[in-house]
Parts: sequence; structure tokens; C-alpha cells
Amino acid sequence: MKKILFTLILAAAATIGMAQNATLPQNITIKALDGSSVQTSVIQNDGKPIIISFWATWCKPCNRELNTIKEVYEEWQEETGVKLVAISIDDARSASRVKPWVDGQGWDYEVYIDQNQDFKRAMNVVNPPHTFVLNGKGEIVWQHASFVEGDEEELLEAVRKAMEN
Amino acid sequence: MHRERINIMKKTFLLLVLSSYFLLPHVQAQGIAGGHVTGNIQVDGQISHKDSIIGSSDVAEKLLMNARADILYTNGNFLGGIRFEMYQNPMLGFDSRYKGQGLANYFVSYQGEKLSVTAGTFYEQFGSGMILRAYEDRYLGIDNALLGMNVALRPIEGVTIKALAGRERFFWDFSNSLVRGVDGEVNLNSVIKPLADSKLRLTLGGGFVSKYEEGQNITSPDVPRHKLNLPLNVGAGAARVDMSLGNFTLQAEYARKGQDPSIMNGYTYGDGEALMLNTTYSMKGFSVNVQAKRVENMCFKAERAVTGEMLYINYIPAITKQHTYAFLSMYPYATQTTGEMGLQGDVMYKVKKDTWLGGKYGMDLHFNTAVITGLDITGTEGACVGGDGYTTNYFGTGDLYYGDATIEVAKKLSSALKLTVTGGYQVFNPLVEGHTGALHHNTVFVGDLTWKVNKKNVLRFEAEWLGSDSKYDPDDDDKRCGDWIMGLVEYNFASAWFISVSDQYAYKDGIGNYYNVSVGYTHGATRLQLGYGKQREGLLCIGGVCRMVPASNGLTFSLTTSF
Repeated sequence: MKKILFTLILAAAATIGMAQNATLPQNITIKALDGSSVQTSVIQNDGKPIIISFWATWCKPCNRELNTIKEVYEEWQEETGVKLVAISIDDARSASRVKPWVDGQGWDYEVYIDQNQDFKRAMNVVNPPHTFVLNGKGEIVWQHASFVEGDEEELLEAVRKAMEN
Repeated sequence: MHRERINIMKKTFLLLVLSSYFLLPHVQAQGIAGGHVTGNIQVDGQISHKDSIIGSSDVAEKLLMNARADILYTNGNFLGGIRFEMYQNPMLGFDSRYKGQGLANYFVSYQGEKLSVTAGTFYEQFGSGMILRAYEDRYLGIDNALLGMNVALRPIEGVTIKALAGRERFFWDFSNSLVRGVDGEVNLNSVIKPLADSKLRLTLGGGFVSKYEEGQNITSPDVPRHKLNLPLNVGAGAARVDMSLGNFTLQAEYARKGQDPSIMNGYTYGDGEALMLNTTYSMKGFSVNVQAKRVENMCFKAERAVTGEMLYINYIPAITKQHTYAFLSMYPYATQTTGEMGLQGDVMYKVKKDTWLGGKYGMDLHFNTAVITGLDITGTEGACVGGDGYTTNYFGTGDLYYGDATIEVAKKLSSALKLTVTGGYQVFNPLVEGHTGALHHNTVFVGDLTWKVNKKNVLRFEAEWLGSDSKYDPDDDDKRCGDWIMGLVEYNFASAWFISVSDQYAYKDGIGNYYNVSVGYTHGATRLQLGYGKQREGLLCIGGVCRMVPASNGLTFSLTTSF
């Protein structure tokens, strides 16, 4: 009996080890706003939570989300140390307008361009906006598709929870 | 005796608790042997019936449905994926050759820091896609994935070399022609140490793509017994520069395609070329962007005899802004394959808060204008099967195809009210879509007001007006002609539910009354939407997301989930 229990406890411990959250793919190529190609491993925040938001210049709800968060971003950063990384899925038609757009909107986020949507596919994003929260270990702990005014409260809650992990 | 029984009960209970751990579903990504399974599933359907006014045909099978499931398995640097697609039967707006179901995408991949290799079906883009872009857009029914192998090398930081070979997807089959390509990109700031901290950021790149297709018998109608001497290998090369210095950026790309007689260019032998130039001046709160493009004979297809949107190797996008409001995108512009030249300008300015114009919260101004014309054709002697194609004057312009200018003003009126007002003027040449008639001149006004009633309730109102000098003509049958008015009300509750009611009505010189009711529910990454009414095809942004939708008349539903 003891042996059976022991084996079961070991197996349970092993599954706890196995059933973790998915992590951010590290080696997908995206473009920085200065034109250089980088890998998704550049998305780091020193062990603090990260918000990844997939958006496009032609997506109005995406712009509403990023503008709504802009108003409270400084407070959020003070409280949680969170960093928002905005990934544009604009393709060749509008990719060259991403940098002027980000500057024109006055955003302080880290922005990358996923022009052929490789990152979007790897993260299973279907319709923009699609937002993810990563904890300090780079694990995806929360995701949400769509944005309506008020959703930013839920996002902040998810970031607070991610801090505890 | 009693104690023994309790002991046995304790042990059994403990055993049960531990075993149930394995049976309980885990909410997060399923772990299997150290890896993770993630994916997304989408089911879209419509029950559409005939409506001569919006042009939807009768659907014999009543229900049309597109569905797909993408499953991805990740384990460290290894990645494997499959996609199952089903079109039973394809929805309106989707090519009927998609009818059927099966495994549309399958690959295994190693993605390391210095090396990535993918075997199976893959997507890839060189530069801005002018010579190669294998991509998929599920809402447009485009998937030109390559089945073969794709290798990317990153030997040192800042250098990327890609090489690929494969056959292109064509509905449920793959083309017999071969596509091979190689591309290199160097970020000079990473490679040349003294430039590492320079204010000048410079990236150079270049690629070459070759297509091999077996010969065919194609004769000229003018010289019937003479078979065309078709090149079996067609090559296209491109070079690009991406530069930024302080507040300025400059991107330029030039592509050239060798002899490629195909049905798209009337089996002519002239070279194709494309030039794209983009320059930006921007700083926080203000940006100016100017883009110029010239495209001539750049339809690079995997098979020379295939018309339409399928089997493109490259991607030449429209140079116009993708509008999101219904009336601004009523007459969308699509790149003309014969050739075109275009210019687009975009200015964004954020008026600061606490100024006279900005008010308490500030104001956003956005101006955009685009003009597209055909090429200046100076000679047509070569425009016959076997000839060299049209001769053109490089810097001249031809017929006006499209022009628009829009100005958008967004202002927060109070902590709960946000208003966006847009005015636009459009000139549209019906020739662009195969219609006849004079140029349309349209004026559009849009008002978009969001009212955050309280934490749980958000209302959005949208009103649009389109005044046009076009009149509906039954012979030409362009149902967009005339003057239109539109109203939309959307109610969002608790960031989960939404309901929207809208109507587009042609009140003068036109026909059409597109009313629509939609409801939806979102939870995490799962979203369900049901709609009833008449829908024009185009980009639809309601219920918190944006997606392209096909034309429909009746009931539509859409379920998406990511896990």
C-alpha cells in the first residue's frame, strides 16, 4: 500500500511539473520599428509581468484598447512593473505606417511588426485585438479576444494575479 | 478492528484523491511529455436566401459552413502543427473549389536561435513580399502556403539568410510547378561595430525567386500554327533598404521579374518591375508619412495559365488606406494587375490637452489622401500574344483609377463620452472592377460616439452618410450607386455580451436596405456571434473585434476559440 501511494505521489508531482502553462515562443522573427529583424526572445521584462497585445492600424477596437490603456499605463507600471508589448499584424499594405501611427498616437509601448503573421499564428490569434498576459517566468497565464471600454479593468486584474505567480 | 477499518478508509480516500488528479481536466495548455498543445478552432456558417437587391443567390443546400482547427504542439525548440479545414459547402464569397475537407496544413519545425528549419507546409515573406509572399488570410479564402522546406540561418547577430523550395497550395492540391527562393538581410548596426550606437539605423536586404513550370502549347491567335517558346524558369529579384535617422525613416524596395508570359499579361515577354518608396517624419504626437509606388507587369504566378486570385507567388498590396467605416470602404480599391502608380500621404497630429483646441482631454487629428492612376502607355504594338507588352513612359500617368482624401477628428468630450467625426471625398473609376460608366464622386460623413454609461454598460452610436453623383443603372447593376444613409447602435454589457442593430438604406438613386441585428458573447479567448439580416461583404468591426465578412442574406453565426 505504501509503495502504491508513494508511486502515485511521485506521478502526481511529475504531472504538476508537466502541466505548466504554455510559454512564449522564443525564436519567431519580428521586425523592430528601426527596420531590423529580431527574435521574439527580445520580449523581456526582468521577471515582471508582460502584456502582449496584437493590433493593426485598421482595427478600431485595437486602437481603442491601446488608447484606453495609455491613459492608465503609468499607474499600472508603478503598481505592477508591467510592460506592454504591442505586436502589429499590419501586412505590406500598411506596415510602413505603423511607426508614424505609434508616434502619432503618442504611445509609449514597445512595438514590433509581425508582417507575415508568423507570431500571430504561433499564438493562435484569430481576430484582433487579442491580448495576452505573461507572468515573470514568461508563461502565458491569461488571454482575451476583443476589446470594449471597461475590459482594461479585467486586464489589470490578470496582471495583478500574474505578479503572484 | 475499528481503527483498522478507518485506516483502510483513509488510504482508499487518499488513493482516490490522488487518482482523480489525473482525471481532472487542466485549464491551461495541455501538457504532454514536457510539451504543450495549443490551437484555435473556428466555425462560420450562414443560412442565406436569395435577394436580388443585394445580389445574394439562392443556396440549394440552405446551410453553408466553413470550419477549421489549428493544432500546435511545442516542445522546447521543436514545433509541429496540423490544420484541418472543412468547407461544406463554402460560404458565399469563397471559391467553390474549396468544397470538401481535409488536412490543409502540416509541418514540423525546429526553431533555434541560429537556425530554423521547417518541413511541410509553411509561410514566408521576402522583404515586403514583392517577389515572394506565402501567406494565409482565412477571411479572404487566400492560402498560398508552400509545401517543401524552409531554412533560415542567423550565423551572427544582424544577419539572416533564408532558403526555401516548395510547391504552392491550390485548393486541395499542390501546383506541379516548383518555387525556389533565397533571401539575405543584414542589419549594419549589428554587424559593423562602430555603428552599433549610431543614430543612423540601416538594414539592407535582397532576394531572388525562381519558378519552374513545364512547357505548354500556347499559340497566338494571329499566328495559329506557331507555338510560343515559353521560358520554363522565370526569375524575379528584389533589393531593399530600410533606413532611419533621428525622426526620419526611409524604406525603398525595387523588384524586377524576367520574361514571364502568362495569361495575366496576355502572354507577353517584357520584364516586370515594381518600385516602392516610403518616407516618414515622426515624433511623439506628430507624424507625416508619404508613400509612392509604381507597379508594371508584376503578377508572379506559380502557373502561367491560371487567372484570378490563386497561385500568386508574390504580393502587391493596394496603396490606399484600409478604411474601416462602412461607407468609406463601400468602393474599395484593389491593385490593378496590369500596372498602376500611386501616391499616399498621411498626417497625424495630437492636439495637447488643456489648450484652446484640445480642451480638457486633447484632440486627435488624422488626415489621409491617396491617388492611383494607370500607367502612361505610349505604345501598344507589343501588346499581343508573343509580343513584348506595352511600352510605357516611366514617369507619366494614365487614367485615374481612384482618389480619396479623409480627415478624422477624435475627441473625448467627457470622462464617459468619446466622439470621432470623419469626412471624406472619393473619386472612383468603375473600370477598376469591370463596371462601366463615368467616375463616381462620393462625399462621406461619419459620426461615431462611444458612451461609457458605467463600469458594466457601454453604448456606441454610429451614423454615416454617403452622397454620390452615381445613379443605379439596371444594365450595369452596380448596387452601390446612389445616396445612402446608415445608423448603428451597439450595446456592450459586462465586457461579455453585445447586441448591435444597424441599417444601411439607399434613399436616393439607388436600391438597397441592409438591416442587420447581431448578438455575441465573449469569454476569455472564446467568442460566439449570431447575426440576422443583410450584410454587404467587407470589413466589419462590431462587438469588439474586426473581421472581413462575406455577403449574406439571412442568418450567420461564427464561433472562434483559442486555447
